[in-house]
Amino acid sequence: MQELRKERLDRGVKVRSESIYAISSLKEIMFIIGPGLLLAALLLILPLFVSSYWQGVLKITGVYVLLAIGFGFLANYVGLVSLGGALFVGVGGYLSGGLNYFFDLPMIVTIPIAAVGGALICTILLLPALPLRGVYFAIVTLVYPMALSRIIVATGAFRGTDGLPGLERFPVGIGPIYLIFIVILICLYLLSRLVNYEDFGLVLRGVKDNELSIKASALHLTWYKIQAVFIAAFMGCFAGAYLTHLYGWVGTSLLAQDFSILPVAAAVVGGPGTIFGPLVGAFILVPISEAMRDYGTLRIVFYAIILVIFVVFWTEGILDYLKRKYEQFEHWVEM
Amino acid sequence: MSSNDDYMLEVNDLLVYYENAIAINNVSLKCQKARITGVFGANSAGKSTLMHSISGLILDMKEKEMRKGGERITWYGEVKYNGKDIIDVKPSDRAGMGLVLSPERRQVFPESTAMENLKIGSYLATKEQTKKSLEFVFKLFPELVNMKKREAGFLSGGEQQMLAIARALMAQPKLLLLDEPLLGLAPSVESRLAQAIKDIKDETNITIMLSEQYARPVFPVIDYGYVMENGSIVLEGTSEELMNNPDVLGAYFGM
Repeated sequence: MQELRKERLDRGVKVRSESIYAISSLKEIMFIIGPGLLLAALLLILPLFVSSYWQGVLKITGVYVLLAIGFGFLANYVGLVSLGGALFVGVGGYLSGGLNYFFDLPMIVTIPIAAVGGALICTILLLPALPLRGVYFAIVTLVYPMALSRIIVATGAFRGTDGLPGLERFPVGIGPIYLIFIVILICLYLLSRLVNYEDFGLVLRGVKDNELSIKASALHLTWYKIQAVFIAAFMGCFAGAYLTHLYGWVGTSLLAQDFSILPVAAAVVGGPGTIFGPLVGAFILVPISEAMRDYGTLRIVFYAIILVIFVVFWTEGILDYLKRKYEQFEHWVEM
Repeated sequence: MSSNDDYMLEVNDLLVYYENAIAINNVSLKCQKARITGVFGANSAGKSTLMHSISGLILDMKEKEMRKGGERITWYGEVKYNGKDIIDVKPSDRAGMGLVLSPERRQVFPESTAMENLKIGSYLATKEQTKKSLEFVFKLFPELVNMKKREAGFLSGGEQQMLAIARALMAQPKLLLLDEPLLGLAPSVESRLAQAIKDIKDETNITIMLSEQYARPVFPVIDYGYVMENGSIVLEGTSEELMNNPDVLGAYFGM
């Protein structure tokens, strides 16, 4: 009997599109940008075809997508496991809410200020923790939102547990969905360019692999980490400011652990190999979670089960699997 | 005369692929009982893959890669241990059968003391066996006696290697696999360890298979040797036969 073995080879179009021939024909160009275009088209068309209830779900999904992309970027490309989603959302939310409540600034001003200013604040807060790696960094980022929420309750700042009511709200309709989806698409595009084609992204991946070698190459390690955290914090703070004006209210619930934990699950489900993976994960998990709202906190159990299944049996994640199928084909060969 | 009983280990037509790259190409080799068999080859010749296939670690690697969606590892062929095909036996079970690997780059438990390392190694042994092996190990490597309480990560390279071999001995091997036991050691320590390996064979009748890049320090102690290149065995012979081969002299003795 002749022994057979499954061989895995790159598709011809992938090999061609990696080289100068990438621009030789429409087929190669589409091979490269096709998936991105498809994603953009899906995101832009989807809001038109769902009921108003699910439009609401899409807005929340968008918030989690931004957090998940930020988490995936820090964890998979910089090596910082950040559970700071709640910190980013909280700081961004309270900043934009505070500006709107105390200074009567319109949201067209407060959202950009909250995104940039909040990212700065978060980066400064996390600065002492930047030399830490792995679980230590994760703990610090987890502790900040807990502490902030206690401080707000104890001191009564920002009106304590009552929160700031009556803030400016987004108009009804699909406009707000497009706002966050377009921000997501821009972030995805810039991030994937950054990690795949720019020297800066190359250094960041080096930071993940070996910090000592980065230092030995005369690169300022902390400065690169600061920039990476700023990028992730920017996305998170924008999400927080968005959430504030979505509800027209700011409270300590913006510092809830959900914003820290769900992005982790989304990044695991989506797969660690791409910037797009966490987005896919969030788009699967958040609507499922929404559909299970009737079961209350049992949802957490459900998440945990999904997370365990993916971590143990399918570490690859959905998008990495699809990417492999997209770029490679398999056939049987004789040994 | 040459019945199967003379051979502890037989590898027949072994093929190992890492995805599309062939790591081991139709390798057949035998280890005689109570003898030292050497496998020599440059980097990427397939020595470590061969060791992993025999010790069974390759099963673990395959599963990990499968979950990650990484490269697929496939193999065909036979690995016969005492006449029984063990290619699908788990590595832990193989260790229980007396097939013990002292891995490449030592892999001691850095935060346990030397003594604890040895105790971990003797997990499968009975109390009697442990006591006997400990005596033997400390006789073989007197350097370790004073290091009992020292954390393994703080030992020197040579001491760590001794500890790794000692730890493998504690697991009551019948066939001891040593993957590059002289990696990165000073010449004086090299010959010291080569002598120790010979002592293990002489005093305990344990069958030993070792792999090495640089043949000079271990050549005097081996009984039979194989030379690998790009995943295949290109030469084999007794120690003297190989030593008189001009190709081997050039490639593995630096002459």
